[in-house]
Amino acid sequence: MKIINDFNLKRQADELGIKVWQTPGFLFIIMGFIAVVIMTATYCISKNYDNPQVLVVSECLVVAFIFTVGTTISRSVERIASVNRMKSEFVSVASHQLRTPLSAIKWEVELFLAKFKEGLNEDQFKKIENIAKLNMKMIRLVNDLLDVARIDQNRLILKKQAFNFSKVTREMMDEIISANNSRHISFNLDIEKDLPEVMGDGEKIKLALDNITSNAFKYTTSGGHIDVRLFKKDKEVIFEVKDNGVGIPEEQIDRVFEKFFRSDNATKYQTEGTGLGLYISKNIVEQLGGRIWFQSIENVGSKFSFSLPIAKKQKN
Amino acid sequence: MTKKILLIEDDIDLQQTMAEYLSREAFDVVSAMDGQAGLEMVQPEMPDAILLDVILPKMDGFKVLEAVKSNEKTKNIPVILLTNLESMEDIQRAFEKGAMAYLVKADFRLEDVVKKLKEILKM
Repeated sequence: MKIINDFNLKRQADELGIKVWQTPGFLFIIMGFIAVVIMTATYCISKNYDNPQVLVVSECLVVAFIFTVGTTISRSVERIASVNRMKSEFVSVASHQLRTPLSAIKWEVELFLAKFKEGLNEDQFKKIENIAKLNMKMIRLVNDLLDVARIDQNRLILKKQAFNFSKVTREMMDEIISANNSRHISFNLDIEKDLPEVMGDGEKIKLALDNITSNAFKYTTSGGHIDVRLFKKDKEVIFEVKDNGVGIPEEQIDRVFEKFFRSDNATKYQTEGTGLGLYISKNIVEQLGGRIWFQSIENVGSKFSFSLPIAKKQKN
Repeated sequence: MTKKILLIEDDIDLQQTMAEYLSREAFDVVSAMDGQAGLEMVQPEMPDAILLDVILPKMDGFKVLEAVKSNEKTKNIPVILLTNLESMEDIQRAFEKGAMAYLVKADFRLEDVVKKLKEILKM
C-alpha cells in the first residue's frame, strides 16, 4: 500500500507543490527506464561492433544520461527543501510579529479592567471578558504555529529534568475542568499515589496534557464522561484519557498525528480547531523519550495515552 | 518607599500600558524608547529594577544588560527581560549575562509581571 502511495505521482506533486514531471517518483521511473534502454542498446552495440571506441562512446553516453537525470532529481529535491525552509521561516517571523500586538491587546484589556471594572455593568463586563478570551485564543494559535515551525526546523528545544508529573497534571486538569464547567460531562481524575518524578519539560508537557484532554471535551457530547488516569507501569508513568465521545472513523486512524489533520468527525461535531494539537503533542512527547498512542472506535469513544520515562534517582 | 522602575520598551503602546499599570500599583516609572537612551538613564535615575525588552533600536537588550552588569555602580540593579523571543538560546544567554528573570510577553499578564517585580524587590 505504501509503495503504491509512493508512486501516486499526482498526489506527490500536489503535496510538494511542484509539477508531475518534477516529482522524485516520476524522475526515478524515467531514470530506471533510460538505464534499461541504454543497457539494451549497449548490449546490441557491443554485439554488432568489435570496435572498442564505439563501446567507450556508448558508455560515456550512459554516464551522461544518468548524470543529467540525477542532477534534475537533486535540483528538484533541493528546491522543495528550500521552499519548505522558507515557509517555516516565514511562519516563525510572522508569528513573532503577531505576538507583539496580541500582547499589547492582552495588557490593554487587563489595564482597562483594573481601571474601570467597578463602573461596568454585567453585560459590558462580559463583553470585555470575551475580548480577552478571544485574544488568548489567538495567542495560543500563534504559539502553536511557532511550535510547529520550530519542530519543522528541528529547533524545538526542550528541557530534560526531573519534574513532578502528578502536580503538573493536577494543575492542568483543574484549568481544563474550570474552562468546561458549563458542559454536562462527568469527569473523573485518578492519580496514583506517590508516583516517582519523570524526565521531561514540565512546561511543554502541559501543552500535551491540555491538547489531549481538551480534545476529549471537544468531541464528547452532553451526558458523556471522561476518565483521566496517571499511573506507573514498568519504567514509565502513563497519562491516559478515555472518553465516550464521537471517536475517529477507522479509515482515518493512521492520519491522526499528521500536521493539520482533522478527522471527518472532528469537523462534523466541532468546527473550531487547527489540527496542530496532536502533532505538537506527539513531537514533544517523543523528543522527551516518551511514547504516544491511542485507540478509537467511531461513535463509541477514544482512549489517548502518552508515557514519560521515570527519572533516575540522583545519587547523593 | 516607592520603588522606581526603568522601563525600556520601543513599542509605544506596550510602554504606555505597562507604565500606567505599574503606576497604579504604586511604582514610580521612568521609560526609554531605545537601548542607548535606556542605558544612559540607568546611572542618573538609579532605578530599583529594570524592565528590559530585547529587540530594541540603537542597542539591543542583551547589550544593555551586559553594560549594566559590567558597571560597578549599576551591577546590583535587578534586570528583568520582557520579550516575545523565547528560544532556549536566548533564555540561557540572558541568565548567563546576569538577568534576574526572563518573561515572555505573550504568556504573562501584567499582574504576573508585577508579582515577579514584587518578589524580586521583596515588597
